[in-house]
Amino acid sequence: MGSINIFAGGYGSGKTELALNFAINSDSQGQDVVLADLDLVNPYFVSRQNQTELKAHHVKLLAPSLKLSFGDVPQLPPKLLAEVQRENQLLIDVAGDDTGGLVIGYLHRYLQQRDPVNLWLVINPYRPFAQNLYDIKESVKQFEDAARLPFTGIISNPHLAEETTADVIRSGHQQVLEYAEALQLKVGYLTVREDFYEQLKPEYGSLLKSIKIFTRPAWLQGD
Amino acid sequence: MTKVLMKGNEALAEGALLAGCRAFFGYPITPSSEIAEYMARKMPKMGRTFLQAESELAAINMVYGAAATGNRVMTASSGPGISLKQEGISFLAEAELPSLIVNISRGGPGLGGIQPAQSDYFQATRGGGHGDYHIIVLAPSGVQEMMDFAMQGFDLADHYRIPVMIMAEGTLGQMMEPIIVREPVTDLPPKPWATTGCKGRKPNIINTLHLSPEFLEERNLHLQHKYKLIQEREAKAETFMVEDADLVVAAFGLMSRIAKRAVMDARQKGIKVGLIRPVTLWPFPEKAFQEAAEHVSKFLSVEISMGQMVEDIRLAVNGRVPVEFYGRIGLIPNPEEITRQIMKIAQQEGWV
Repeated sequence: MGSINIFAGGYGSGKTELALNFAINSDSQGQDVVLADLDLVNPYFVSRQNQTELKAHHVKLLAPSLKLSFGDVPQLPPKLLAEVQRENQLLIDVAGDDTGGLVIGYLHRYLQQRDPVNLWLVINPYRPFAQNLYDIKESVKQFEDAARLPFTGIISNPHLAEETTADVIRSGHQQVLEYAEALQLKVGYLTVREDFYEQLKPEYGSLLKSIKIFTRPAWLQGD
Repeated sequence: MTKVLMKGNEALAEGALLAGCRAFFGYPITPSSEIAEYMARKMPKMGRTFLQAESELAAINMVYGAAATGNRVMTASSGPGISLKQEGISFLAEAELPSLIVNISRGGPGLGGIQPAQSDYFQATRGGGHGDYHIIVLAPSGVQEMMDFAMQGFDLADHYRIPVMIMAEGTLGQMMEPIIVREPVTDLPPKPWATTGCKGRKPNIINTLHLSPEFLEERNLHLQHKYKLIQEREAKAETFMVEDADLVVAAFGLMSRIAKRAVMDARQKGIKVGLIRPVTLWPFPEKAFQEAAEHVSKFLSVEISMGQMVEDIRLAVNGRVPVEFYGRIGLIPNPEEITRQIMKIAQQEGWV
């Protein structure tokens, strides 16, 4: 029934930016590409703020209905179960930490019908609670317990927003590789902002994926 | 030193921990909840106390009790929750209990919405509770300052025995920036007034009920004397290109950074415009405005509200210079629309 890519991880690890980018660059192979914005913690910096861009790339957005999009109540889009059981390519952007895991736990039995189910652990090692293996392991356990699914891979997303340099990416990625080894998980992608892609391509090859930034207000960039 | 990419709420919470905050009492509300969540994850492991109270009222009264023991303690909330805390804040002010109160503010009135706002300015600076009191109000403009002001806030609170509020727009609580994590504070000031057990000394009593009219007045005069001292010493503002300005834009918090963009844009267009950013909202940095009023022909207050700080600017300049206002609520004014306001004034004044 087509693939599912779930982007999970700590608050602010980059899940939303990655889900948006993967959705827009998705090779649809004739199937619908559906992005489910299941961030039910709060509506600051979420996928649903980028509807125009998604529409332009023929990505179907599943998000809390318009009237409730600024609601402060945990809510899931009404057609979620239907889309999970349909033929499509589904990308799921869940809320941070174990709150996101709860939603995946709820979808657990429907997800089993799909193949493959990629449950990505997104790590930015410059975030709090991602700075040592103890905290990473604690987050992983909390999420997996709630989701009733094991992570299948890691997306390394090391950056310091506007203060990112190639060396920040290099040493951050090194840290993620160490976590990956300890967790016995494969690193599927190293994601970097567009302007670092060419420079780092020779070093990281096909691991590298270029990311366009959507959720950051223009007035913050290059401050 | 390697920086850490933090959300404003996380940076503030970590700053409070670095400053030696021993206990957090709160009740979650968007967009402030990450402060409580951060504390819940970290404090028990540090042997400190995180307590989710049954309500905001309970939380602020727990702050009262714990602050009375001389410990550094805090609470955090957003507009509706801060309203509920007002009675407790009045009690904290009269009992002169150092404490940190955080408002990650959203739009009101009523339940309002959960989008960023600055419309709790009156509540924060006038004292939303009963009686003649003030609290110190700090308005950080970035994630680094969320951490730094949490630390400075505790210092000011202890030094003056006063509740200190940090007020930041919801966006500043939610957004991420790379910051330097400060060193932990190890040397805390002594608090001989605290209720720590009175073996071998006279009991310390912390109380706000003063039935003798003379003593009540004495207490009020004492507080007023303290507030005057704070006004003289602690009022703080940042200025940007004000020296030769014809027009000065005023904005605080995150809004001041957006306004700065507009000021730079307008300078490119040849307009002599500057910016005053009040860092302390109470005490209000009147001097910065009075000095600028010597040479500017207009002020423009830009706020995420229907116009609140604009009144303090008018009071500060006392009719010498006209003060205009531009604000929105629910949405943050962007640099382009502020630039348009600046250009509109420039046209009216005949500068272009």
